[in-house]
Amino acid sequence: MSQAYNRRTFVGMLAGATAFAGLGSKASAAASLPSGTITIVVPFDPGGANDIIARAVAQHMTETGATVVVDNRPGASGSVGAQYVARSEPDGRTLLMAPIGVLAINPWLFSQLGYDPVKDFAPLTLAGTVPNALIVHPSVPAKTVAELIAYAKANPGKLNFASMGNGTTGHLCGEMFKKAAGVDILHVPYKGSAPALKDLLSGQVQLMFDNLPTALPHMRAEKLRGLAVTSPARHPLAPEVPTLKESGVDAEAVAWFGFVAPVKTPGEIQKAISDSMIAALKSDKVKAQLEKVGVTISANQPAEFAALIASESKKWRQVVADAGAKIDN
Amino acid sequence: MSFFDGLLVAMEPGNLLACFVGALVGTFVGVLPGLGPVATIAMLLPITYHLSPAAAIVMLSGIYYGAQYGGSITAILVNIPGETSTVVTCLDGYRMAQKGKAGIALSIAAIGSFVAGLFATGVIAFVSVPLADFAQQFGPAEYFALMSLGLVGAVVLARGSIIKALAMIAVGLLLGLVGTDVNSGLQRLTFNLPQLADGLSFAAIAMGVFGIGEIFSTLGQKRSGAQVVAPIERLWPNREDLAASAAPIARGSIVGSLLGVLPGGGAILSSFASYALEKKLSRHPERFGQGAIEGVAGPESANNAGAQTSFIPMLTLGIPSNPVMALIAGGLMLHGITPGPQILAEQSLLFWTVIASMLIGNLLLVIINIPFVGLWTKLFKLPYEILFPCIVVICCVGTYSVNKMPFDVLVLGLFGVIGYGLVKLNFEVGPMLLGLVLGPMLEENFRRAMLLARGDPINIITRPISAILLATALILLCVILLPNLRRTRETVFQEEA
Repeated sequence: MSQAYNRRTFVGMLAGATAFAGLGSKASAAASLPSGTITIVVPFDPGGANDIIARAVAQHMTETGATVVVDNRPGASGSVGAQYVARSEPDGRTLLMAPIGVLAINPWLFSQLGYDPVKDFAPLTLAGTVPNALIVHPSVPAKTVAELIAYAKANPGKLNFASMGNGTTGHLCGEMFKKAAGVDILHVPYKGSAPALKDLLSGQVQLMFDNLPTALPHMRAEKLRGLAVTSPARHPLAPEVPTLKESGVDAEAVAWFGFVAPVKTPGEIQKAISDSMIAALKSDKVKAQLEKVGVTISANQPAEFAALIASESKKWRQVVADAGAKIDN
Repeated sequence: MSFFDGLLVAMEPGNLLACFVGALVGTFVGVLPGLGPVATIAMLLPITYHLSPAAAIVMLSGIYYGAQYGGSITAILVNIPGETSTVVTCLDGYRMAQKGKAGIALSIAAIGSFVAGLFATGVIAFVSVPLADFAQQFGPAEYFALMSLGLVGAVVLARGSIIKALAMIAVGLLLGLVGTDVNSGLQRLTFNLPQLADGLSFAAIAMGVFGIGEIFSTLGQKRSGAQVVAPIERLWPNREDLAASAAPIARGSIVGSLLGVLPGGGAILSSFASYALEKKLSRHPERFGQGAIEGVAGPESANNAGAQTSFIPMLTLGIPSNPVMALIAGGLMLHGITPGPQILAEQSLLFWTVIASMLIGNLLLVIINIPFVGLWTKLFKLPYEILFPCIVVICCVGTYSVNKMPFDVLVLGLFGVIGYGLVKLNFEVGPMLLGLVLGPMLEENFRRAMLLARGDPINIITRPISAILLATALILLCVILLPNLRRTRETVFQEEA
């Protein structure tokens, strides 16, 4: 294989250079898309699932005639980027990659958000979903969720669950589990998934609900034990891991990632962008790219996405209230 | 698979080109203040979609350690830390430049980085697995103890009054409190500004107090149009300079390699630690801050070694230890390689290719950097009215590019004014910046350790590693405070600049 890459490398560099300089106006399919450069704002640092989805879609849209770039504007759990898009010119040239937190959880955590997830944004399409996995350190003598619950009940107040931060799906899944299973476990928040995994691997903390894609390599290497996934069905990348429901715990949650536009964007432009994004998500290349990192592609219609935002928002409001996780008052 | 298989792959034209491009881009990114490897790698990530996984990671890692070389250039020439990890290089590098020794400082920085780069490459190749295991023993309690030791080290950074140094550390700690509290999620000192929710930008503060503050105070002192620096006597280090630098480079390489493995700290912590160590070991600590060559050689070696060994947690455990590593991990995932504990077994050719490319990359960086030393020192011939506006513009653009927030540019300006005031009042900014770096990590880990121990502090002291670190901190504190308290009265005369 080593022989194969050198030529591809060089050609690839040239191709990359031209594609991203935004040269060449490839007309055709993009007739009703806004002219000029379309920017997808990712409200988090690069490298995460939201960034990978946005870049894959942007690249496909660029290859089919538009010029689409990704702009990372991280800060305040996504609020900085969301606020920026909410206040942008509603001409379809500035769009937001909005994960579950920005649209359905943060409104219940923070009293001052700087944007309204419903009044400020028009849904375009739900890109996909990623489940969380319940993973435990091997020192915990539990091979199933039932055994974990029994162990936690025998040792009340002893187990710690790590999360990637306050108010993240990892934290709230832990709170849901705590309530549904009736166990006493302590939440220990971290700044992101990597430092939390580090302490889980060394046994400082005993369990965690982490996004399946980042947890998976450690499960496969048997450094951590995967007990369940939080999605309604088993995940194709880890078919041997049961769902929480199957394991007898009535809790279900997936992280999801969608695209939205400023609410005043004209309807026909919304439609054109939405269609183009759905086509990108359904293309073989993007599909393969995203499924590899654990994303289950949805690519639904704007109305379906709007309905999901409404139902999810209601669900997480309750979870946040139950967990007492509201951050400011 | 062995190192030589990796070397063969790394020597393939495409990968060699990727390595060269990475090193070159890294150098430029390092020179440009504010624009750091995180922003650059984020921008270049899409291009690597078209490369092979090996070429992609070779190029991205080249940018990262290349930036450590480039970052010293602006620190030495114009007192602006081009990278956060070159903050301490400003302390003595800039003074050396003012004494006509810019060429020597630049060469020593490049040589130190090169030696440290080779050393760290060896460390990754031969002892990465045991080192990673060692790093895994660092839990919240151990991090807290290490940060405490670091804070004591911050006192060593100071050269004038110890009371003022302590005050500056406290200011730094307070500045570090701004932002979202990790445990409760509450916002502290943010005045409901979303721009402050993630804290103050370290890059903006460092550039403000050093670079912009320096411009203000220079303009305040001199009226003439040409720069007042001593004439350049010689460009290259002589045998004496090299002899003085050898031990600091060796110690810096070791300190950097060790601290770099610990997630979170990495390059910046290692450069501060190396500086404090050199000053403490020196028979003439009063020379530090006045252009001591050891104060450039040690930290510049340490930050490069630290940057390279910060790859170890990702390459062995699959855990990215800092934002740059997280980006590189994201890049690998796009190529279908999920970094994890199996990466060493499943992708051993890739592992050795990256290591071999580090060897080549460090060689390329010396070749890129040394010939430019003469050119860079010509910068001093530029009159102020051209140089200063350029610096200010570059600082503003650089600061903005990190988070794309105009707010950060305001922070830069504000801290420029504050930096000027501090210089006038003989307060040193080094301890403040170290407080700012260490404070949030110290607090986060202390509170996490207390949470895990259910509020029992004994747990922190009884763990062996944290006990040793805390004891060292205590002893160091006594060693520093006793002679310093006696010397306090003399220090009044030491300040001349």
